[in-house]
Amino acid sequence: MEGTNQAIQTMVATLRQLTQGFGLSLAIFGLTLLFSIPLGLLICKGRMSKITVVSLLCRLYISVLRGTPLMLQLLLVYFGPYYVFRVSLGNDYRFIATIIAFSLNYAAYFAEIFRGGIQSMSKGQYEAATVLGFSKAQTYFKIILPQVIKRVLPSVSNEIITLVKDTSLAQVLSVAEMFTRASAAASKQVSVMPFIVAGLFYYLMNLLIEFILNRVEKSMSYYS
Amino acid sequence: MSDVNNDIVLEIKDIHKSFDKLEVLQGIDITVERGEVVAVIGPSGGGKSTLLRCATTLEKVDSGKIVIGGDVLCDDVDGHSVYCDKKLEREIRSKFGLVFQNFNLFPHFSVRRNITEALIHVHKKSKEEADAICDGLLKKMDLEAKADEYPCNLSGGQQQRVSIARALATNPEIIFFDEPTSALDPELTKGVLTVIKELAQEKMTMVIVTHEMSFARDVADRIVFMDGGVIVEEGPAYELVTNPKQERTKAFLAGY
Ligand SMILES: Nc1ncnc2c1ncn2[C@@H]1O[C@H](COP(=O)(O)OP(=O)(O)O)[C@@H](O)[C@H]1O
Ligand SMILES: [Mg+2]
Repeated sequence: MEGTNQAIQTMVATLRQLTQGFGLSLAIFGLTLLFSIPLGLLICKGRMSKITVVSLLCRLYISVLRGTPLMLQLLLVYFGPYYVFRVSLGNDYRFIATIIAFSLNYAAYFAEIFRGGIQSMSKGQYEAATVLGFSKAQTYFKIILPQVIKRVLPSVSNEIITLVKDTSLAQVLSVAEMFTRASAAASKQVSVMPFIVAGLFYYLMNLLIEFILNRVEKSMSYYS
Repeated sequence: MSDVNNDIVLEIKDIHKSFDKLEVLQGIDITVERGEVVAVIGPSGGGKSTLLRCATTLEKVDSGKIVIGGDVLCDDVDGHSVYCDKKLEREIRSKFGLVFQNFNLFPHFSVRRNITEALIHVHKKSKEEADAICDGLLKKMDLEAKADEYPCNLSGGQQQRVSIARALATNPEIIFFDEPTSALDPELTKGVLTVIKELAQEKMTMVIVTHEMSFARDVADRIVFMDGGVIVEEGPAYELVTNPKQERTKAFLAGY
């Protein structure tokens, strides 16, 4: 009896810890999307720029950010200011560095996805809009972007689902998100249970995301 | 403004256009009067599309002059074309319509929105006005029932008629057609040609690039035969088709 009771208590404590960590995981997830999508659009624009220098720089950016581990980027963003400028940015900087590194990294992926979508648009759509008198901005926001969004949605969904799982990488900066807490609990309890519970959290989160994205995709399937 | 003839809707004077080393238009002159229907025929690669694209601001000419509805789009200065400012260019765009070979409808817009979007957001008409114009045009195109459909659910012929309605909506002074039936199955071609024929009867000013010789002969006032970037021959439609003067025209027409 005593044993079961204790097991339940441990379980409840673990759940509470993970739930607290989950809030932080959600914050990393949400803020990364918030910053990386516009930044990705910007880099995509730069990548397609007619100005060679801009285009080359954006290419280099994409290539490096996609070609090196996100974990390494996290460490660089966090420790960089200290080793380069000898400045110490305090404890809050752990979280900020996480958001910066995640946003920079995901922007590179989004930039390439957006570029694929924009380049798949036929010239005729721009020309029809031009001849009808739409301005450049109107053409972009009314004609091109809505169609591009539909086209890139499957790839963007993939990235979003990966991002949910990638938030666990913030552990390397000891940000107290869910996975960090699961690790701590696991080693304290000498049990894999916290990991399994954490896995369940990630999975449920992604189930929900999948559900939402499917709905969005459906809402755009009125044309092909 | 004194030398602008009000009855001339389109004036193209000695335009040249090259892509890299290839001179696609080698000095083209065309004048179209109000109410006139001009068919442009000729073998593929002869520069017909490029001519229409230059007239509709989609390509810029290297030299020569283009005047549409009395507004100078570009004028020749020392052998180079100088274009008007962006503001006038946009104004000129509201004076013509262009119908593409492959329609280029906006797939994410309903038929109605394809037609009304420019009316509302470029020409600043109210939604009610735009809808009224749209309804009138759809009736004319025999597409009243399709206002809320999306282009992907229409046949090619219906899509092309929507695109004609879209071009007509802003009440342009002239409409250009670039092979409007070339992407269509033969049985769908008829409906589109009928619509264009009706427009001709209403004295709509039109320039039509087409391979439909009998249509060109019957509907156009004048035919221009283009080959190798030049106008080889032009004349009254019936006469050019039945009694061409130039060898190249004869050879081309013999293929039909
Ligand atoms: N954007 C372009 N770049 C390079 N060459 C082009 C371009 N557009 C057309 N051309 C060339 O110009 C010539 C005339 O083409 P086009 O005007 O389409 O002829 P048509 O419509 O009479 O078939 C062709 O040789 C074509 O390959
Ligand atoms: Mg052509």
